[in-house]
Amino acid sequence: MMQLQSEMAALVGAAHVHNQPGAIQGQAPLMRVCPADREELAAVVAVAYQHGVGVVPQGGGTKQQWGHPPSSGFILLDTTRLNRVLIYEPDDLTISVEAGMTLGMLTATLAANGQMLPLDAPLPARSTVGGLLATGIDGPRRLGYSSSRDLLIGVQVVEANGRFSKAGGMVVKNVSGFDMMKLYIGSLGSLAIIVGANFKLIPRPRAAATIACAFEQPAAAFSLIHAIQASQLTPVAVEYLHGSAPPGLEAQAPLVVAVCAEGLPAAVERHVRDVSSMAERSAAVGVTLLRDDPHEAVWAAINDLSQTDALNPDEMVLRLSCLPADLERAVTDASDLAHRHALKLRIVARALSGMAYLRIQSHDAAALENYHHALLAAWPHISLLAGAAKQKAGAHIWGRAIPNLDLMQRIKHEFDPQNRLNPGRYI
Amino acid sequence: MHRPDLIDELRRIVGLRGVVADPHALMTYDADGCVLDTGNPVVVVLPTTTEQVSAVVRLAARAGLPLVPRGAGTGLTGGATAMSGGIMISSARMDKILEVDVRNGRVLCQPGVINYELSQYLKPYGFQFAPDPSSQKACTVGGNIANNSGGPHCLKYGITASHVYGVEMVLADGTVMWSGDGSPAPPGYDLTGVITGSEGTFGMVTAAWLKLTRLPEAVRVVLALFPDIAGASSTVSQVIASGLLPAALEIMDRLAIKAVNEMYRLGLPEQAGAALLIEVDGVEDGLDELLHDVTAICWRNGALDVRPARTQAEQNQVWAARKNAFGAMGRLAPTYYLVDTVVPRTRLPYTMEQVGKISRTFDLPIANVFHAGDGNLHPIILFDRRNRSQNQRALEAASGVLQVSIEQGGVISGEHGIGVEKRDYMTLLFSTEDLAAMAGLHQSFDPHDLFNPGKIFPKGRGCGELAALRRSGLRGEVA
Repeated sequence: MMQLQSEMAALVGAAHVHNQPGAIQGQAPLMRVCPADREELAAVVAVAYQHGVGVVPQGGGTKQQWGHPPSSGFILLDTTRLNRVLIYEPDDLTISVEAGMTLGMLTATLAANGQMLPLDAPLPARSTVGGLLATGIDGPRRLGYSSSRDLLIGVQVVEANGRFSKAGGMVVKNVSGFDMMKLYIGSLGSLAIIVGANFKLIPRPRAAATIACAFEQPAAAFSLIHAIQASQLTPVAVEYLHGSAPPGLEAQAPLVVAVCAEGLPAAVERHVRDVSSMAERSAAVGVTLLRDDPHEAVWAAINDLSQTDALNPDEMVLRLSCLPADLERAVTDASDLAHRHALKLRIVARALSGMAYLRIQSHDAAALENYHHALLAAWPHISLLAGAAKQKAGAHIWGRAIPNLDLMQRIKHEFDPQNRLNPGRYI
Repeated sequence: MHRPDLIDELRRIVGLRGVVADPHALMTYDADGCVLDTGNPVVVVLPTTTEQVSAVVRLAARAGLPLVPRGAGTGLTGGATAMSGGIMISSARMDKILEVDVRNGRVLCQPGVINYELSQYLKPYGFQFAPDPSSQKACTVGGNIANNSGGPHCLKYGITASHVYGVEMVLADGTVMWSGDGSPAPPGYDLTGVITGSEGTFGMVTAAWLKLTRLPEAVRVVLALFPDIAGASSTVSQVIASGLLPAALEIMDRLAIKAVNEMYRLGLPEQAGAALLIEVDGVEDGLDELLHDVTAICWRNGALDVRPARTQAEQNQVWAARKNAFGAMGRLAPTYYLVDTVVPRTRLPYTMEQVGKISRTFDLPIANVFHAGDGNLHPIILFDRRNRSQNQRALEAASGVLQVSIEQGGVISGEHGIGVEKRDYMTLLFSTEDLAAMAGLHQSFDPHDLFNPGKIFPKGRGCGELAALRRSGLRGEVA
C-alpha cells in the first residue's frame, strides 16, 4: 500500500494523491489519484494493474450511487483535472474535449459561439463529459436531438492495463471500423476509462419556448402526449411530470406536461399555438407559456430531476424503460402502487421515448423494497439507480435480468480479463 | 465435408429452390458493387426463416466453412464478396415487412426488405425509414444495418445506427439473440449499437426493429448553380457554420451534371461547374425564412442561378437525378471507382481543389456527386477496366484522395464501410491498439472468425491475431 502510494505520487505528484477519500457506497478507496492528463492517467492505471488493485473512475462523482458497490481494494481515479478543450472548430460544428470537463463548462464554451451539445445531464456544474457518457444518462431533449449515442463522433480511452486506444474521428459521419463509441457509452466504466470525447455540435436555436400544460388526471395528460405524437410537430422535449413541478409551475395541478419547442421563430410560434390548443382539447386545467430566463430555468430544473447525487435518507430512485406506448400504463402502475403503499412519488418521464425516472420516499424501508419488487414484477427494465445500501444489496438493481448477459460477459472478459475496472459494479 | 454432401444438407434445410450451386449461376455472386475484388462462394443459400439461418450456421461451423452474409450486393467495398470461398447466405428470400407498430414508432422487418420499398410501404402511415442511400431502390435494410449506411438525408436525420432499435441475430454457434426492441434503456451494453456497422462479421441479422420517422409537414427543394465547385463547397461550409440545418446539401460537379443532363433532360446549363441541391423540411412555418437565408449564402458565393423545384414532380426529378447519378456515369466511361471519404466541413473547398489536381496528375476524369453537408466526398474516378494502365492509375488516384482526406483530418469511409477495398487503409487511421480493441469486440461475438472473414482488418493483421496479441498484454505507446 505504501509502495503503491509512493508510485502514484511519483506519477502525479504527492499533492494529487489523497489518502482518505470519501467512500463509494460504503466502500473506502485505497486512495484518490488525480492525474493531470491522459498520459498520467494511463500510467496510473498501468501501475494499479501491476499492483493488482481495481480502478473506480470518477468525474464529478454525481452518479456514483449507480450500480453495486465496488469490490474492495481499489483506487478512485479522479478525472476532473482532465478538463481541457483539445480541438474546437466552431465552423465545423465539432469539438474534442478531455473527459473531466464538466457539462456546464462545455456548455459555456459552446454558447460563446452560438452552439450547444444538448445532452441535458443533471447537475451540469459537476457532471463531467466522461461520466455522462459512461452512464449513458439521457436528458429531455433526446427527443429532438437524440442522445450521446448520436452526438459522440470519437472517443479516446485507457483500457484496463493502461493501454491507450481510440475510435471514431472529428468528422460527423464515419464508418471506418467498428463503432466502439457505442460500446463505451453506458458501460459504466467497466470496459475502459473514457479520457477524451469528440462531439458533433448543434447550432443554438434562434428561438425557444416552453408550453407547460397542467392536468388533473394522467389520462388527460396522455391524451395531449398522444396528440403531439400523432402530429407533424417537432418539439425537442415532451416531459411528463408527476408531483415534481419545477419552479414557476408549482402552483399548478399535480401533473404537468412540459413541451419544449426550439428552432426558427415562426416554427416555435406554430408549436406554441398548436400545443396550446391541443392541450385545451385534452382538458388541461392550465397552460403556461415560458420564454427566455424562465424557460431556461424550468428546463435546468427538469434536467436535475433525475439526479442521484443528493438523496433524502429515505429516498430511492428508479429508472424505468419501456416501449413508448406502454409509458402511460407504466406511470399509472407506478403511481397506483405508490398510492396504495402511501409512498411519496415524483416522476419525470420522457413522454415520447418510454423512459421514466421515479423518486420514491418512505420512512418504511420495507415499503420501498416491496414497491420495487411489485413494480419490477410488471415492468422488467427497471434500474434501481440509487437507494439505501441495505435495500440495494440483494436487489435486482439492473431490472429482472440483463438480456444477453453471456455475450456481455465475454465482452467484459476481452476488455478486462482481470476484472479491474469498476469491479463488481456492473457486468 | 464434400461439396455434394454439403449441397444435399443445405437443400434439406432450405429446400431445393433455396440453394444455388450451378457454377454459371454462382458467377453472378462473384462480386458486389466493388468489381475490383472478386471471389466465388462454394454455394449460395437462400433461407426464408431464422431457424433455417441458424441451421445453416451450425452446418457451416461443423464443416469449418466461412459464411458470407449478403443483401442485394450493392455494397461498394467487397463486403458481400466471398473472398475465401465458403457459403454465401443471401437474405433475398427474407424480404417480409412483419409488423408496423405506429404507437411505438417502429417497424419489424426481415433483412432482405428493400430500403425504398420499406419507405413506400410506410408512406400511407405517414412515416418513412430515414436512411436513404443512393442505391435505395435495390439495397436491403440488412445491408444498411451491416454497413451503417448513410444517404443524403443523414445530414439531418442521422445514419442507420440512429434508426435501429434492435436486431435479431444468429451467432456463430447457431444461437439466436435479440439485441433490443425499442425500449430506450435496457440494462447492459449497447449491442445494437456495435452490431450496426459490423459489416456482417459478428453474425447474420435475421430481423430488425427499425425506427419510423414521421414524414415532414413541408419540404422545399432548390437547385443552386455555380460556375465552379469551389463556390458550391464554400456555400456548404458557410451554411453549416451559420447554424442553419437543411435536411440535405448535395453537390454535383460539371461531369456529373453532364451525365445526368443526358439521362434525365434536366436542362441544367452546361456552363455550370457545380450544382448544389438544397432541401429544407419541417413544419411549414419558418421554412421560407430558412430557405431565404440559405439562398442568400448561395448568392454571396457567386451562384449563377437559384432554381426552386416548385412542384412535387420537379422535386422528384431533381432527386432522381441526384440518386441515379452513379448509374448515369456509364455515359462517361465503362468503369468507375467511387471513393468514399469524409473531411471536416471547413476543409471541403481545399479538398475538392486537391481532388481536381489528382485527376490531372493521373490523367483520369473524376466526377463528384456527394453529401457536401456532412463533408462526405464521393470522387468518382472514371476509367476503363480493360486498360491495365488506367486500372493502375485509378487505384493510385483513389489512394491519393484518401491520403489528402486524412491529411485534412478526414477518415477513410463515411458510409460505404471498409470491406476488402479499404482494409489496408485502416492502419492509416488506427494504431495496433485501436485495431486490437476492435478485434477484441469482434472475438466476443465470433471467436472462430466464421462470419465474413478477411474483411475490415488489414491483410496480415487478422482479427484473431490482433485479439491474441491484445490478450498477451499488448502495451502500446500512449499517443
